[in-house]
Amino acid sequence: MAEPVGIMLAEHFSTVTQQRQAAKLGLWAWLITELLLFAGLFLCALIIRIQHPASVTLAATHLKFWIGAANTAVLICSSFTMSGAIVLSRIGWRAGMLRFMLATAALGTLFLLLKGFEYYQDYVEHMVPFLSGPYVLAHDQASRLFVDVYFITTALHGVHLITGVSILLVLTWQASRPHFLTRHQNRIEVYGLYWHFIDLIWMIVFPVLYVLNR
Amino acid sequence: MSGAPSPAVYPLLLWPQAASQAAVHVDWLIFAFTAVTLLLTVPIFLAITYFALMYRSGRQVDRGHTSDRNVKIELSWMLIPFFLTLAFFAWGAQIFDVEKHAPANALEIQAIGRQWMWKFQHPGGQAEINDLHVPTGQPVLINMISQDVIHSLYLPAFRVQMETLPGRYTQLWFKAERPGQYRLYCSEYCGTDHSVMDGLLYVMSPSDYARWLSQAGSSQSLAALGKRLFSNYGCSGCHGAGATIRAPDLAGLYNRPVPIDGGGSVIADDTYIRDKILNPDNNLIAGYKQVMPSFKGVIPEDELMQLIAYIKTMETSS
Amino acid sequence: MSPSDAVMRDPGTPQATMGRPSDYLHAQHTLRSWFFTTDHKRIALLYLASITVFFVFGAIAAGLIRLCLVVPNGQIFTNDTYNKIFTMHGVIMVWFFLIPSIPSTFGNFLLPLMIGAKDVAFPRLNLLSWYVFMTGALFTMATLVIGGVDTGWTFYAPFSTTYSNTYVIPALLGVIVVGFSSILTGLNFVVTVHMMRCPGMTWFRMPIFIWTLYATSLIFLLGTPVITLALILLVMERAFHIGVFDPRLGGDPVLFEHLFWFYSHPAVYIMVLPGMGVITELVAAFAQKRVFGYRFVAYASIGLASITFLVWGHHMFVNGQSQLASTVFSFLSFAVAVPSAVKVYNWTATIHKGNIRLDTPMLYAMGYIGLFVLGGLTGLFLATLAVDAHLHDTYFVVAHFHYIMVGGTMLAFLGGLHYWWPKFTGRMYPEAFGRVGAFLIFVGFNVTFFPQFILGYLGMPRRYHDYPPEFQLLNILSSAGSTILAVGYFFPMIYLTWSLWFGKRAPANPWQARGLEWTTSSPPPPHNFAVTPRVDFDPYDYAIKAREVG
Repeated sequence: MAEPVGIMLAEHFSTVTQQRQAAKLGLWAWLITELLLFAGLFLCALIIRIQHPASVTLAATHLKFWIGAANTAVLICSSFTMSGAIVLSRIGWRAGMLRFMLATAALGTLFLLLKGFEYYQDYVEHMVPFLSGPYVLAHDQASRLFVDVYFITTALHGVHLITGVSILLVLTWQASRPHFLTRHQNRIEVYGLYWHFIDLIWMIVFPVLYVLNR
Repeated sequence: MSGAPSPAVYPLLLWPQAASQAAVHVDWLIFAFTAVTLLLTVPIFLAITYFALMYRSGRQVDRGHTSDRNVKIELSWMLIPFFLTLAFFAWGAQIFDVEKHAPANALEIQAIGRQWMWKFQHPGGQAEINDLHVPTGQPVLINMISQDVIHSLYLPAFRVQMETLPGRYTQLWFKAERPGQYRLYCSEYCGTDHSVMDGLLYVMSPSDYARWLSQAGSSQSLAALGKRLFSNYGCSGCHGAGATIRAPDLAGLYNRPVPIDGGGSVIADDTYIRDKILNPDNNLIAGYKQVMPSFKGVIPEDELMQLIAYIKTMETSS
Repeated sequence: MSPSDAVMRDPGTPQATMGRPSDYLHAQHTLRSWFFTTDHKRIALLYLASITVFFVFGAIAAGLIRLCLVVPNGQIFTNDTYNKIFTMHGVIMVWFFLIPSIPSTFGNFLLPLMIGAKDVAFPRLNLLSWYVFMTGALFTMATLVIGGVDTGWTFYAPFSTTYSNTYVIPALLGVIVVGFSSILTGLNFVVTVHMMRCPGMTWFRMPIFIWTLYATSLIFLLGTPVITLALILLVMERAFHIGVFDPRLGGDPVLFEHLFWFYSHPAVYIMVLPGMGVITELVAAFAQKRVFGYRFVAYASIGLASITFLVWGHHMFVNGQSQLASTVFSFLSFAVAVPSAVKVYNWTATIHKGNIRLDTPMLYAMGYIGLFVLGGLTGLFLATLAVDAHLHDTYFVVAHFHYIMVGGTMLAFLGGLHYWWPKFTGRMYPEAFGRVGAFLIFVGFNVTFFPQFILGYLGMPRRYHDYPPEFQLLNILSSAGSTILAVGYFFPMIYLTWSLWFGKRAPANPWQARGLEWTTSSPPPPHNFAVTPRVDFDPYDYAIKAREVG
C-alpha cells in the first residue's frame, strides 16, 4: 500500500533539502504578503470601531454570529483533515491521503455555501448598503462604513477560499496518478501551509468583525 | 489665468514676494538650510572630481596606506551631518507650531473650495469668488472646507498652504504686513480646470480694507444670515427659546465638551457642529432622545458656515 | 591562490570552441525558446526590452508636457488632454519603468551569477511574473493611450472614486496586477538569496548590489500588499459604491492618503536602493579598490528599507494631520538622511587613492553621486515642516523627486547597463559615444530640472499647465534642457542596439572587475558556470591583484 515518498530534484538545486526549504520559505514569504493585505482591512475595522463605537456595535449585532461561528468550526475541522492528508503523504499512504484531501475540499465548499447563505440573509434583511435597495441602518452613516469593510474582508477571504479549493481539487487529481508521492510529495506540504493560513485569516476575521464588536 | 496683472516684460525671477514677517522668517530658514546644504555637498563634489583626476589610471601617485574601514570616521560622517540638520528640523517645527496656532483675535474668513473655484465669505457677509481681500496688521484665520474633491489653498506670499477636505474643516492663518497684489492657487490636483483654479490675493491697509468691505456690499453679517437660516430651516422650532420639544441648548455650545451617549465627550468645534446638522445620529448626546432629522443634501456648505457663525454668537448672547 | 580559485578567476577560452551550445543567447534560437524560457538571463532581457518600450512612451509624454509648458496660457493642449498626458507620464514611469527597472533586469540577470547559483529559486515563477507584469502593464498602457486617465499617478480619492470621468478602473486593475508581479519577483529574490548561495558565499561575502536587492525585495513583500489593498478599495468604491474613502459614502479621503503613501514612500526606495547597489559596484570596479566600510554600507541598505516604512506621513503635513504626528514624521524623515549619507561618503572614500578609469559607467556613477546628493538634501527641505508648508505640491517637489528618480535611478540604470552590457550581450559598446551620451544626459538633466527648484520656490504649483506669465522664462529653460536630455537618451539607444551586431566581442572580464559574474564567459553559458564556484575570499578583493603585482 505505502509507496516511496520523495521529490524530484530540479536541476538548479544541488540537494533535495535545499529544494524543500526553498519551497517552504517561498510560501512563507507569500503568506506574509497575504497577512499584510488583510492587516490593512483589520486596521480599518479597528479604526472605525474606535471612531464610532456605537454605530459599529449596532451594525455588528446585525451580523449572523452563529453562521460565523459554525464556519469557524468548519474551517477548524478542515485544518485537521488537511493535517491528516499531510501526515499520510509522509508515510506514503496515497489512498488515505486522497480521501482526506477530498474531505478538506468538501469542508471548504461547505464554508462557502454557508457564507453564501449568510450573504443572502444580509440581502433579505437589507444589510447591503451599496446596493440600490433600502439599507436598514440608513440613519447611521458610520455603520455603513463598518458593513462595507465587513463585505470587502469576507469577500476577499472568500476569493482566497475559492482559489484554495480549486487548487486543492487540481492537486487531488494530480496526486491520484501513480508515482506522485515519489516525485512531488513536497507539493502537499506546501499546499497544507496555504490552507492552514486561510483558516488562520478567518480565525482573525471572526473575532475582529463578529465577536469584538458585540 | 484669471485676472493676471500683465507688465510687458517679465524679468528672471529668483526670489518670491513676501507679504508677511512669517514669510521672511521661512525664507531665512530656507536660506540657512541652503548654505548648510552647500557646506555638506560642495566638498563631496570637489573631492570626487579631485580624486578622479588625481588618482586616474596610469598616473604615478602614492596609492599606499589606504584602509577600507574606519569606525570613527564612519560614525562621525553619519552623526555630524545628522545633528547639523536636526537644527533645521527644530527650527522648522518651531515655525510650524506658530503656523498651527492662530491668535484668538484673528479675523475669521470662510473659504469653500469646489471644482473649480474658490468662494470666500467675510464676517460681514461679503462674498467673493477666486480673489481674496485681507487687511494688514491683523491676524487672519481662514476656515475652509471642500464641496467635492480635495483642494488646497496655497498662498505663496505667506509661505503657507492647507488642503481643503470634503466633510471636514481645516484652518490656516497669517498676518499680512505688506500691501500689494499676490497670487493664490489651488495646489492639490483636483481635475480638469485645476490649473485655472487660482486668483489674486489683495493685501490692503485696514482703511482700504474697510472701504472695500463697504463697497463689496452686504446687508447682513454671516451670523445674521445664519440667524435667518436658523429659523428658515426650522432649527429654532426645537433649539430656540421657548421650544416645546426638549432639544439641547445651543447657547454657549461652541468649543465646549459635549457628553456622549455611552461615555466620553467631544469638543463642539466647527466640524462637530457641521457633522451634527448633517448626521444627527452620529455621536448621540447623553441624556437626549435622538429625534432630529438629517439635513444632509439640504443645506449647502456656505449656508452651513453661516449657521455655524450664528451658533458661535449664541455663546455671547446667553 | 588555490587551484579552485584559478578555475574561477580565469574562465579560459570561450566555450564555443568546446563544441557545446556556446552561451545562453545562442543555445536556442526559436521564438518559443524566448517566450517560454525559464533561464533568468533570458527573462532579464525580456524585462529589459519591455521596460525600454514603456520608457519610450513615458518619455514621449514627458516631452509633450515640456512642450506644452513653453507657453504660459497652456493653449497647446486642452486642460483634460494635459491632465491625461501627465497621468500617463507618471503612471508609466513609476509603475512600469522605475519600480521594475533595476530589480527585474539587472537583478534577474545578476543575482544568480553574483552568488554562484545556476538560476533563481523558482524559475517558472520568474517567467510567470514577467507574464503577469506584461498583462497588467499592457492593459493599463492601452487604457492610458486609447482612453486616457486624468487622476495623476497618485489616484487620490474622492477624485478618482467619484469625480473623474475617465477610465480609472481599468488603469487601476492593471496597476494591481503589476503589483503581483513585484511580489513574485521579491519573493523569488528573497528565497534565492537565502537558499541558493554557492559554497563559501556567506552573507558578508555578497556584493553590495545583492544586499540592496535583498532590501528591495523585502520592501516588495511588505509594502506591495498594502497598495494592492488600497487600490482594490478604490475599485470597490468606484465600481460598487462600497464607500471607504468618499465622505458622501461615509468614508474618509485621508485614509487613502495614508494607505497610498505607506507603500509609495517605500516604493521610492524600491527605485533608489538597487541604484545605490549598482553605483557601489561601479565605483569599486572603476577605482579598482575595495568598498570603503563594506559592512556599514550593507547595514545601511537594510536600515533604509526599515526606516522607509516609518516616514509616509511626511507627504501629509498640510492635510490636517495632527501637529504631533507631523512632527514625529518630520523627525523620522531626517533620520533617513543618516543611512543615505553613509553611502555617499563611503563612495567618495572608495575613490580616494584608487586606480581610476573614467569610462562611461564611471561617468554615470559620478554623475549619480552628485545628483543623488542634491535630490536627497532637497528631500530634507521638504521634510522640514515650515518649509514643506510652502513647497508642498509645487515644482520644488517635482524637481526633488526627479533628481532622485532620474538623477538617481535612471543614471544608475544606464551606468549599470554599460558596465554589464558585455556580460549581457558578449559585445562591447563604443566608448567614445558612451562618454558623449553620459555628458549630454548629465547636462540636459540639470538644465531641465534645476530651474524647477526655483519655480517651486517661487510658488508654481505642480500639475499646472496654465501658469502665471512671470514663470515663463524658467519654464522655457527647463523645456530647452529636456531637448538636450532627449538627445542624450537617443545616444545609448542607438549605439547599444548597433553594438549588438557590430560591437567588438567582449572578453569574460573587460573591466578587470571582481565578482563571480566576471569569472564566467561573456555571455554566460545557459547554467552560468562551467563548475559550481567555491568562494573563499571577500567581495571586491582588488587588493589581491596589487599584492600579486608586488
